[in-house]
Amino acid sequence: MGAYIVKRLLQSILVLFGLSLLIFFIARVVPGDPARAALGNLATEEQVERLRAEMHLDKPFFVQYYYWLISVLHGDLGKSLYTQRPVTQDLVQFLPATLELMLFATLISLVVGQTMGVLSGYFRNSWFDGLFRVISYAGVATPPFVIAIFLLFIFSQLLGLAPGVGRLPITMAEPPRVTGFLLIDSLLAGRPDVTLVALKHMLLPAISLAIAHIAQEGRITRSSLIDVQQKDYILAHQVHGIRPTKVIFKYLLRPSIVPTVTVMGMDFAFLLSNAFLVEVVFMWPGFSRYAVNAMLSKDLNAIVAVVLVIGLTVALVNLLVDVTIAFLDPTVRIRRRGG
Amino acid sequence: MERNMESLVQVKGLSVGFRVFEGLLRVLDGISLRIGQGERVGLVGETGCGKTTTVKSILKVLPQPPAVIFGGEVLFRGKDVLRMGRRAVHQLRRSSVAAIFQDPLQALNPVFTVGTQLSDIVRDWAAGTGKRLSKKEIFRRCVEALAQTGMPDPERIMTCYPIQLSGGMRQRVCIAEALVRPVELLLADEPTTNLDVTIQDQILRKLDELVEEKGMSILLITHSLGVVMDLTERVYIMYAGTIVEEGKTEELFTNPKHPYTQGLLKSIPKLTGEGISQGIPGRIPNYLHPPSGCRFHPRCEHVMPICTQQKPPLTESEGVACHLYRGDVR
Ligand SMILES: Nc1ncnc2c1ncn2[C@@H]1O[C@H](COP(=O)(O)OP(=O)(O)OP(=O)(O)O)[C@@H](O)[C@H]1O
Ligand code: SF4
Ligand SMILES: [Mg+2]
Repeated sequence: MGAYIVKRLLQSILVLFGLSLLIFFIARVVPGDPARAALGNLATEEQVERLRAEMHLDKPFFVQYYYWLISVLHGDLGKSLYTQRPVTQDLVQFLPATLELMLFATLISLVVGQTMGVLSGYFRNSWFDGLFRVISYAGVATPPFVIAIFLLFIFSQLLGLAPGVGRLPITMAEPPRVTGFLLIDSLLAGRPDVTLVALKHMLLPAISLAIAHIAQEGRITRSSLIDVQQKDYILAHQVHGIRPTKVIFKYLLRPSIVPTVTVMGMDFAFLLSNAFLVEVVFMWPGFSRYAVNAMLSKDLNAIVAVVLVIGLTVALVNLLVDVTIAFLDPTVRIRRRGG
Repeated sequence: MERNMESLVQVKGLSVGFRVFEGLLRVLDGISLRIGQGERVGLVGETGCGKTTTVKSILKVLPQPPAVIFGGEVLFRGKDVLRMGRRAVHQLRRSSVAAIFQDPLQALNPVFTVGTQLSDIVRDWAAGTGKRLSKKEIFRRCVEALAQTGMPDPERIMTCYPIQLSGGMRQRVCIAEALVRPVELLLADEPTTNLDVTIQDQILRKLDELVEEKGMSILLITHSLGVVMDLTERVYIMYAGTIVEEGKTEELFTNPKHPYTQGLLKSIPKLTGEGISQGIPGRIPNYLHPPSGCRFHPRCEHVMPICTQQKPPLTESEGVACHLYRGDVR
């Protein structure tokens, strides 16, 4: 297992290396002359030349890349044209809000989706199964931002059960920033009341994001469970007198959730893109809005940062998924080892 | 020589179908069979005739849906398994029944080691008898069961995942799983299909020895008539979801009555999918629209008008389900 993780880690680094080359290409080669772009039309040729030398633009491609990579690894991604601040500073401000929301949505979809999928598959053709299947069709078919608008309208406007937009009410001050996650920072600041309010604010957007995943991943678990349930080895465990609860929770569940975990890795990219629109609906001061603004205002350094963050996240999630699968299904690592 | 032939298992009029996209497959059509205490019974028939379905029904592990049980009883010591609650079925399996499934590639859980799967069987069986075995004792029993099947290096095999084993080794693991605890009834569904002939023979003998030693009853399903001849006392011949003939193995093989059995014996030694057609023209019928009356009538050279109208019952006296042997209708 350890060897497998190391190997998989090296692969991820390789992928990120490829991604960085691509990003470098976007950042430095595509826009023409970055020195001219940075200095504007009024600068003289000499000034531009000097900056070019300073930015190593007069060196060969790979040398340029080397210097760029070093600065990126030092957290220097340049300045955002839009916010007029170092891009890294922007990331530190906007990213945690989105990560917190996405992690919370993932948690909801995992707990609710897997429980429902397992129950629905195990009690196949029961009323619960029927209900889950109808809801899950709707859940897969409805875009998250539509769900977001509906939820906001019904629970916040109409029923007044949930707070409106944003992470906290305007009247409430944010706790001192440590992790950027409000739920954690407020607890660290000894303000559980703020935690509760933040949680309430996060509930609707997180549910909006989670529903599609609950539906999709729950359905996969359901059908995989039904499939595995009919396998001879499950019948064999039963016939060999293994305790029914052990057959279910040990021998049936583990092979059943492997396909779901695989899909969850792929679904994560959707979660990111859905977060863009849901954040707009809930006026969530997160990374997505920052990213959209960066795109719209052609803010190159910011765009590079956005792509980099997304790439990193996806690589990380895939690593996590692969390691989880290797843990759940040892045949994966045995096959790769070729023995 | 005579064993105590009190019935351990009695299947009565069992009818099972499968609901599929095209409609209802009427597979088992009211089959009846009996396994005496300590008896070795064979079940023979060409591929698709419903042998595995019969075994799974007896074990109550047919997935429903797609399977539908229309009627009949499976009595284990007089109690109907099909009407037992979950708990009772579990207790019955744990203390009394073992099975070797047909396809060893499918019958082992891919994500757990051989050791995990084997030792859980011993552990839960012991728990059922009120014993608590030490880890060491459980391990010893598992290794012993593997060794009994002729498995090389059983201790190492315990740590392997099924994917690391060859087909033959997996088959041995399946056999070990069935023999790792004492049971009264062993249902062996083609236990040696994946082994080469010499090893097949060796394993079957071993199985035979173990059955003898432990005084188990066995229902042995196989494509090999030679094996049936060697290892069983009584045999059932199955055709298209019906039992067409039953009798003492030796008598039945020297003097087959049913036209299907007669054709079958011509196709010795192997009953593969096509193997049979050299003995009897035609193929096994379609279960969506099975032939009326005697299911064998489209392929039978002795077919009579009544054969298409009335299903011939398996008679107690003759042990054959064919209108040719019913004086009253002929
Ligand atoms: N789960 C299922 N769904 C649909 N049809 C099934 C199912 N299981 C079995 N059948 C059908 O029932 C019939 C009998 O199958 P069964 O597996 O009992 O045959 P068998 O005698 O064991 O054959 P073989 O010698 O090839 O193992 C076949 O026609 C098969 O297609
Ligand atoms: S009942 Fe009729 S069709 Fe069937 S085997 Fe006997 S003679 Fe042939
Ligand atoms: Mg079979």
